[in-house]
Amino acid sequence: MERYCDGEAQAFRDLYALVAPRLLGYFLRMARERALAEDLLQVTFLKIHRARGAYIRGADPVPWMYAIAHRTFLDEMRKRKRAKVKLSSDGHDVPEQAAHISGKAASEVHEPSHDPELAKAALAALEKLPDKQREAVVLTKLNGKSIAEAAAISGTTPGAMKVRAHRGYAALRKALAALGVS
Amino acid sequence: MTSEDRIDQTLTGLGRDLPLPPPLSAEFEAEITQLRPAAPRQPRRQFSVVALLSLLYGGFLVVMTDLRPDIDDLPMLGVLTYSAVWLTSFLVITWLVLIPGRGRVMPNWRYAGVSAAIAVATFVAAGLLLPFGGPDSVTFAPTLDSLINGHKCLIWGTITSLVPIALGSLLLRGSVPVGSRWAGAGLGAAGGSLGGLMLHLHCPVAEPLHLGVIHGGVVLVASVIGAVLLPTASRH
Repeated sequence: MERYCDGEAQAFRDLYALVAPRLLGYFLRMARERALAEDLLQVTFLKIHRARGAYIRGADPVPWMYAIAHRTFLDEMRKRKRAKVKLSSDGHDVPEQAAHISGKAASEVHEPSHDPELAKAALAALEKLPDKQREAVVLTKLNGKSIAEAAAISGTTPGAMKVRAHRGYAALRKALAALGVS
Repeated sequence: MTSEDRIDQTLTGLGRDLPLPPPLSAEFEAEITQLRPAAPRQPRRQFSVVALLSLLYGGFLVVMTDLRPDIDDLPMLGVLTYSAVWLTSFLVITWLVLIPGRGRVMPNWRYAGVSAAIAVATFVAAGLLLPFGGPDSVTFAPTLDSLINGHKCLIWGTITSLVPIALGSLLLRGSVPVGSRWAGAGLGAAGGSLGGLMLHLHCPVAEPLHLGVIHGGVVLVASVIGAVLLPTASRH
């Protein structure tokens, strides 16, 4: 990040290669559409690029980048809530595209090699969680952030984040139990 | 292996399966190719700049509007103690808003927000319960009219707070993607404390209601201004 701030283009590319997959994974879990997740990733990096002067030498930039990603996601969701009705040219509602959480078409989905059935069920259950609980589970369980880090990223208190993560995880277990996973 | 362990393991595994990001757009790639250096933020230097310029501005306003006429009859220890409390509040909250913890980029907006709430409560309560004045200070009946007549103090205190709020908002651009409202409230409380210091040195009124609601209220008003301004001003 320091070399990037110093104007080294290759440093940015290295940073992108290191952080973009993690942020894209976060967006895929949160936005549930590949195309939207990729758009959000580009917007996030554009914001990071414009705000690179806010970086402090020696600091860990990753939580700050995640926080920018979180803000970008929230802004996009608010924008979408304001524009709720989508009409086609003939005046009929456009049906929502069913999308897998990975953003790929259902037929293209290749579940991860580790316990694929459970992974598939976990992803399906994760999709059904409310946004805040899903984010808490994604950050703490999938991305391995501590409660304090996840709280700093999503602009809440560690106490609130702990409650969200706990409730999300409990709901996930319940949903998996209902699907017959024990 | 318990079902919890299995779920944990699966979630961790899902987190490890990182997707391949798309290549950068052509415009972004072009911008990166012509990348210019950007000086990283230096929080301590920024703190010094905000503190120095704000104090110079506050001092200028005190000189311009004159020192309180009863100052010669006030106990010097009291003048200095109250001034020190206002000044400390300004400096400490500005520090909390601008300086992040070690190894972090984002300031701790929670500390800033909590300190704003404490500052508002403290200065309103101190004005009401521990009014400061001398034999030549102005006192009047605590009526609604007299309270409304204190609006000039509210305006001048708020005007004083605008410079630290504006400077801090500019310097924090891009630093507070989350919690910016709380950070803004903290910045406002810092500016409001400077406004309170200016009023302490300028206003000869020793009425508890005026000191609590108007002088203390400056911190509240400035906090609200900061909370509204910072999220907009600091966004990229």
